[in-house]
Amino acid sequence: MTQAKTAYQKPIPLKDLDNAPYWDAADQHQLALQKCDDCMAYSQPPGPTCAKCGSENVIWQQLGDDIKATVYSYVVSYRPFLPGFQDELPTIIALAQLDKVPEVKIMGNILNCEEKDLKIGMPIQMTWVDITEDRALPQWIPAMN
Amino acid sequence: MGTIKDRYAIVGVGESERSRKSGTTPLHLALDAANAAIKDAGLKVTDIDGFMNYNEGDSCTSHQLATYLGVRPKYVKDIQGGGASTEMLIADAVALIEAGQLNTVLIYRSMNGSSGTRVGRGYDPDMLQGALAGGSFVIPYGSASPSQWFGMYATRHMHETGITKEHLGHVCLSFYEHAQRNPKAFLHGKPLTMENYLATPDISSPFNIHDSCLELDEGNAIIVTSAEKAKDCKSKPVYIMGMAARQCHPHAHYWNDIDQVASDYVAEELYENAGVTPDDIDVASIYDCFSWVVMRQLEAYGFAKRGEVGDFVAEGNLKIGGKLPTNTAGGMLSEGYTHGMNNTIEIVRQLRHDYEGTDRQVEECKIGICTGWAGPDIAGAMILRN
Ligand SMILES: [Zn+2]
Repeated sequence: MTQAKTAYQKPIPLKDLDNAPYWDAADQHQLALQKCDDCMAYSQPPGPTCAKCGSENVIWQQLGDDIKATVYSYVVSYRPFLPGFQDELPTIIALAQLDKVPEVKIMGNILNCEEKDLKIGMPIQMTWVDITEDRALPQWIPAMN
Repeated sequence: MGTIKDRYAIVGVGESERSRKSGTTPLHLALDAANAAIKDAGLKVTDIDGFMNYNEGDSCTSHQLATYLGVRPKYVKDIQGGGASTEMLIADAVALIEAGQLNTVLIYRSMNGSSGTRVGRGYDPDMLQGALAGGSFVIPYGSASPSQWFGMYATRHMHETGITKEHLGHVCLSFYEHAQRNPKAFLHGKPLTMENYLATPDISSPFNIHDSCLELDEGNAIIVTSAEKAKDCKSKPVYIMGMAARQCHPHAHYWNDIDQVASDYVAEELYENAGVTPDDIDVASIYDCFSWVVMRQLEAYGFAKRGEVGDFVAEGNLKIGGKLPTNTAGGMLSEGYTHGMNNTIEIVRQLRHDYEGTDRQVEECKIGICTGWAGPDIAGAMILRN
């Protein structure tokens, strides 16, 4: 089945040497974060070494699939800047601050959210959208409670 | 190394025509700008022994410019860089003159920013993901424009400090008012009212078209030399009191770390190098790719306290006659857009009192600040005097 691939017009996250564990976990509907085993700092987005201390001793921590956060900031875009977004305007792009690891913030769209309900501090929950046969994109939805 | 305070000067400034569609190449625009700056300085083209430019792959090279000016300089340099590059290349030029390598350097920015390559637009998404550090973590979510990246900073900062959309409007109105006094400003003859501003829909919150810089075809050039050589120039020298630059983000990207900007760190070193305080500044060029970027820098450079910047701009302090006349030719919001160099040219003209006897002159101004912003993560700034 290649139908899904041609149907999805938006950019698909490119895996590379340094970020592949994040996207591999996402494809399994899980969150993994890069962490320094020397200074314990998280790197998000991940990189070749720890961006805080330069250590090469970086590891991956599995956080599972129950990821709660709050909206730290957001923009609402009324114009598509990339292919695939033209049919889903306005687009809410938010920076989510993780409840369990507040020093980590992850960007994403907030789905199923009206612009009027959007505010800084609102609770959100990570969800995963299957965008092709073998790829899934982490996204956010308003938390139920 | 000793201090460079007052030992170097900007002695020439010039620009090409500005338009939506130049019908020519960045090389032609650069030649026009360079010739205008050389004439302004009263120099011969062969007096220039260094050429530098910054670009985003959208300009001619320094080698090309020097070649077609008919000179064979000692030094050419082209960097990939954004809106802090004018200040950073001036620092490079000063260092090379100080080292005895060069005498006089011409720095330019030339671009068909409207009819050619538009900054932050129309790139292949996969290329963008690879080209931007951490690009895979923003591009798939539709975030590909500086308005969206800086907007994320703005929304949070406005939430924390009480800055409103109307406050952003005061930045725009102030600069548009200056553009009405500048016949060469692109938005000359197009004044802006608060009613119109607030009625204009956002492109990407919190920014509408007025909050966003112009996109134009234009070339700008400035000439830097030693204070000693400046005495031989036709123009009034504008001396460099101090400079500073800084990269601040702990990652090679700034997507997720939106509470600091590099300007926060540049300010202290800048004032120390120049030996002045914010109270001593008479006129300002503050990098204005977006209205909020001005607000954030007013806080960083100490012109208003955090939480009071909104009131500062609402009181009209950015207008000619206010406490800090800023972007007095209209800035990048309403005059022109060359990644900051047009704002540098304007502050040089203010400090030379080129507008004496007109309503464009900031009366008796002596000291000015010029700030650059290549993004939240990279800043460069300088303080100048006449
Ligand atoms: Zn570390």
